[in-house]
Amino acid sequence: MTTENTGVRKTAGDDTAAAGKPPSVRPRALAWQRRRASAARFWRTYRTHRAGVFGLAVLTLFALPALAAPLLTGSDAADVTDAPGAPLESPSAEFPFGTDRFGRNLLALVIRGARVSLLVGLLAAVLSVAIGTLIGVTAGHFRGWYATVMMRITDWFLVMPTLVLAIALATVMSRSLLTVVVAIGVTTWPTTARLVRAQTLAVETRPYIERARALGGGHWHVMTRHVLPNVMPLVLAQTTLIISSAILAEATLAFLGLGDPTVVSWGGLLQDAREAGAVSAGHWGYLVPPGIAIAVVALAFTLCGRTVESVLNPRLGVSR
Amino acid sequence: MDTNDQYGGRRRIPGRARLVMAACAAALTLTAGLATPLDPAPRQAAAADDGKKVLTVAVAQSVDSLSPFLAVRLLSTSIHRLTYEYLTNYDPEDNRVIPGLATEWKSSPDKLTWTYTIRSDSRWSDGEQATAEDAAWTFNTMMTDEGAATANGSFVANFEKVTAPSPTELVIRLKKPQATMTALDVPIVPRHVWEKVGDYSKFNNDKEFPVVGNGPFVLTGYKADSYVRLKANKDFWRGAPKFDELVFRYYKDQDAAVSALRKGEVSFVAGSPSLTPAQAASLRTEKNIRVNDAPGRRFYALATNPGARAKNGERMGDGHPSLLDRRVRHALFMAVDRKTIIDKVFQGHAVEGAGYIPPRFSQYFWKPSAEQELAYDPAGAARLLDRAGYRKNGDGERVGEDGKPLTYRILCHATDPNDKAIGQYLQEWWGDLGIGVTLDCLDNVTDPWLAGEYDLAFDGWSVNPDPDFVLSIHTCAALPATPKDTGATDNFICDEKYDELYARQLAEYDPEKRAGIVKQLQSRLYDLGYMNVMAYPNAVEAYRTDQIESITTMPAKAGNIYGQDGYWSWWSAVPADSGDTGGGPSSTGVVAGIVGGAVVLAGLGAFVAMRRRATAEDRE
Amino acid sequence: MTADAASAPVEGTGAAGPAKDGPAARGPRVRTATAYPRYVAGKVAGAAVSLLAVLVTGFFLFRLIPGDPVKFMTGGRQVSAEQLAAYRREFGLDLPLWRQFTDYCGKALTGDLGTSYQFSAPVIDKITEALPNTLLLTGTAFVLYTALGILLGTRAAWRHGRLGDRLGTGLALTLYSLPSFWLGLLLIITLSVGIGPLPGLFPTGGMESGGEEGLAYVLDVAHHLVLPVVTLVAVEYGQTLLVTRSALLDEMGSDYLTTARAKGLRDDLVRRRHAVPNALLPTVTLIFINLGRTVAGVILVETVFSWPGLGGLFYQALSVPDLPLVQGLFLVFAAAVILMNTLADLLYPLFDPRVGR
Repeated sequence: MTTENTGVRKTAGDDTAAAGKPPSVRPRALAWQRRRASAARFWRTYRTHRAGVFGLAVLTLFALPALAAPLLTGSDAADVTDAPGAPLESPSAEFPFGTDRFGRNLLALVIRGARVSLLVGLLAAVLSVAIGTLIGVTAGHFRGWYATVMMRITDWFLVMPTLVLAIALATVMSRSLLTVVVAIGVTTWPTTARLVRAQTLAVETRPYIERARALGGGHWHVMTRHVLPNVMPLVLAQTTLIISSAILAEATLAFLGLGDPTVVSWGGLLQDAREAGAVSAGHWGYLVPPGIAIAVVALAFTLCGRTVESVLNPRLGVSR
Repeated sequence: MDTNDQYGGRRRIPGRARLVMAACAAALTLTAGLATPLDPAPRQAAAADDGKKVLTVAVAQSVDSLSPFLAVRLLSTSIHRLTYEYLTNYDPEDNRVIPGLATEWKSSPDKLTWTYTIRSDSRWSDGEQATAEDAAWTFNTMMTDEGAATANGSFVANFEKVTAPSPTELVIRLKKPQATMTALDVPIVPRHVWEKVGDYSKFNNDKEFPVVGNGPFVLTGYKADSYVRLKANKDFWRGAPKFDELVFRYYKDQDAAVSALRKGEVSFVAGSPSLTPAQAASLRTEKNIRVNDAPGRRFYALATNPGARAKNGERMGDGHPSLLDRRVRHALFMAVDRKTIIDKVFQGHAVEGAGYIPPRFSQYFWKPSAEQELAYDPAGAARLLDRAGYRKNGDGERVGEDGKPLTYRILCHATDPNDKAIGQYLQEWWGDLGIGVTLDCLDNVTDPWLAGEYDLAFDGWSVNPDPDFVLSIHTCAALPATPKDTGATDNFICDEKYDELYARQLAEYDPEKRAGIVKQLQSRLYDLGYMNVMAYPNAVEAYRTDQIESITTMPAKAGNIYGQDGYWSWWSAVPADSGDTGGGPSSTGVVAGIVGGAVVLAGLGAFVAMRRRATAEDRE
Repeated sequence: MTADAASAPVEGTGAAGPAKDGPAARGPRVRTATAYPRYVAGKVAGAAVSLLAVLVTGFFLFRLIPGDPVKFMTGGRQVSAEQLAAYRREFGLDLPLWRQFTDYCGKALTGDLGTSYQFSAPVIDKITEALPNTLLLTGTAFVLYTALGILLGTRAAWRHGRLGDRLGTGLALTLYSLPSFWLGLLLIITLSVGIGPLPGLFPTGGMESGGEEGLAYVLDVAHHLVLPVVTLVAVEYGQTLLVTRSALLDEMGSDYLTTARAKGLRDDLVRRRHAVPNALLPTVTLIFINLGRTVAGVILVETVFSWPGLGGLFYQALSVPDLPLVQGLFLVFAAAVILMNTLADLLYPLFDPRVGR
């Protein structure tokens, strides 16, 4: 483990050196080449983490049918008037999970639901991390009163009970996927902001930043060319972890009846199942598959996120 | 990621902290022990240990207030029905008015004075006699105190004066005639107790038990969001209830309530909200459980925005102008397949809609004649739309003269699964007609609703034995005074002919004649096409036959049990003889006890082992 | 985590790296004896400011909820225009917004949170009624999942990389990914109703059967407590486990441990005596932060198990919207987090070896 550690640490050093090198002949091409190389190194290390590979495999397994959903599922899941079965049928050869309250094929619905759940998870995480990175980098870069105000706001969002705040936001806005994305994104960014700011502060103390400044690099240049590439790995790991919780949060909001009722998502299916009384009526096919899908995907994202973190910072040595 | 060195140098936690940790572990084991079911057996819902017959009802609503002056929720008003007598009651057979605290009543020739004879055999649970004085005081308090008028103020709005010339005589003087004087659903409270209350808007009647009352049950205990306990009133004038105790237990989740019924934790699951078709179907197969699929008292309609206006004539909201054309409204409703709604959404637990008042109220029920009826006919609907000038364009969309495609917004309750389900059907049915539909599902629809900012909306009301209120909400008088005000109107209907009929029925004291006018009102409403009743959902509820032998439904032939207009169900319920479902619960208790004990022992063992090992190592 | 799913990122990161974001990162390094009181004063003042900010947010945020509380409460009943006006007057909704705000703030500072619209009772009363129930549920779950997390986390770190560690950590991560409401529902159908030959062992919901007294009451409540607590513990313990584990692994590579080992102390003893106590530091901060969050995050479990606590109350209040009650509860939820964060901030330097007390 120790040898690996040093190996990766050296890599990280190379990377920063690359970013900090004064422009040479074809600086951009060189930078890209180095980035490609470090991505390859990253993948080599990632590959050795079994949990991470497992997570990635599971995600591929879920993403493929989700992407191909329009081909795999026809009108038997889309239209309520053309529903092929009777409402709440038990599992059969035709409907492996049974049918929903309209008589639609539940297997097809779970596949379609994957699209929405994954999409909401991704968008919410991207929104959350984007806000967090923006605030983190600027607060780390500018210091002074701006940083104080920003960090105060961050702290204040941090003490807000997130679920309560998300529920309140979802209640205030109209029912739509966008609402759910915003409610999750707006409530979960503060951690990212704190982490990114800490990293920014660390990066900015490095000598090459001073060099860049001395060579006339403005705020924008420093932030986008030097700070951002260095916080990117952290941001990547953070995104993966937040997707996992965003998917759970989507399910939670849908379960509390705050989702868009006309869109099929996993959380929405669980809510439908509950509203139809499937739980006490013993319609397992309605309740179990969406729940398992949520759990498995959330788990897969967590595993990937942890692996990314431990590859980038092997001292944590978490998931091996 | 420089996470290292955040915690600086290191020092070990002192021995004291270790001790604390050990104590924590001990506490944990204790809690685990406590949390395991050493409790002998889950309490039997029907028969308590001391042989008392207890009837436990699972309800999905929490109590808002136990003060009759404040309570408005169904659960709370049902409890007041059980604990206080009202002047009149309704016959469980057919909803006709029968004596309650008043034994008889008559109106003066000018229709403005009503005299009630108060019974002399009703006593408060503290031994005092219930008199006309109590009734007069109750009404007078509601007329003079704003706080006391909170819940039932509308009943006394038309009262001029209320007096009690003698303990058995109550006289009410009206400002103008009112046909609903035998349907004053107001709990009469004991004056000698309630006089002492300071602020009626804040007093919730939930601190001192038992609460003095004169109904078939006496309120003996309450815990917010947990339960309400009632004890049988052995001296009730109509006869004592058969069960000794009645408990309403709160279940937020209806699936949990159904599970509790299946297990025997509760004897009855209230059908408010109704059990779902899936729940009903699965309970039907259970031994010892009876599903009561009762005709409901609600209508479930699709309301159309009639171009909302305030009383001063100012326009409100933004209802689609095409809906002002009656042909369009009729065409829309003709494209609604009510049979599919009954079969698929309600799965048979509802009756196809016709008139405004549900068939359960047979006196007032009305049905459209064959030629008047807007039967399901999508082709006819398309023709009607063509005739109204909304033809399909090349893309299959219907466009009006302005060239814009027709798209309607439907306001739906996010908390009502039926709204959402039917909304999806409407999207597809009307989509076939070439009309676009957006579903606006909100937790709280009141804002757009009151502002008239909708095209169509899912609507539904619970109808009382006296239909006056549900009829009154469609009169012009109910419109808001100005667009800024809120009126009592349901969806801004204002029709001269309707108003005229409404006024006539309110002043008609002959029940038969009044019913005739009410039917004409419904016919008019049907033709207008602003209130299209799709269904009358059933009240689906269930109870354990091994705990309740018999119980009165209302109406008696086929009716509901929970939420009756009267105390009939719980007053009449007869406990089942066995009172015990057999070995199930007790063996459950034994198993639970063994499992619990094992967990505790294992926990303790592990804990002791750890401690011993730790000390052994420390000695090394 | 799922009990407070939206908050998971905070915890998720905590799980991956030892509380990078813990209060320690924020707290100054206290070096002198006089510094601590000043530090405390600063933290307490910060908490007070946060609380004030929450007070203001609560007021304005919930005014945005669509819906007229008066109309919602009178919906479906016969009410006259005068009655509606009376309601508005009583609720203070006839006043301009700024007056409502100043009234609200003035009262809140004296401890009066107003009167609930739908329950006609002081908000304080409704909250004090439900708070002990929520604390009982979260408190029990908290003690159990923290103890379990620390215990299993320590074991996992000792057996680092072995099968036991992999299985234990894998299980923790899996449970941690479950939606808590879903797990709760499954537990109800299996353990509460009974499935196949397994009889129903636990009540389906609520906190008590009603009418019990003395020891029978305690046992009855404990019996009702089992399933909600199991649900909370199952989804929450994983996080504590992961943080403890990674903190301990972090610690095990440290120089001073090598020194200790070099002195000839047995490996096991080194870990137990030196590594574990130090590794617990980040866990301690996490524990406090979690406790605050759990109070707010229990909404789902309370809903599924019909537990008569703050979560259920909040949900009922939101649908009206019962503004005073919503604001009051929001304040309580936020206060719980602020209080616990501050406590963690205050306690941390006491554990921190650099404090020169």
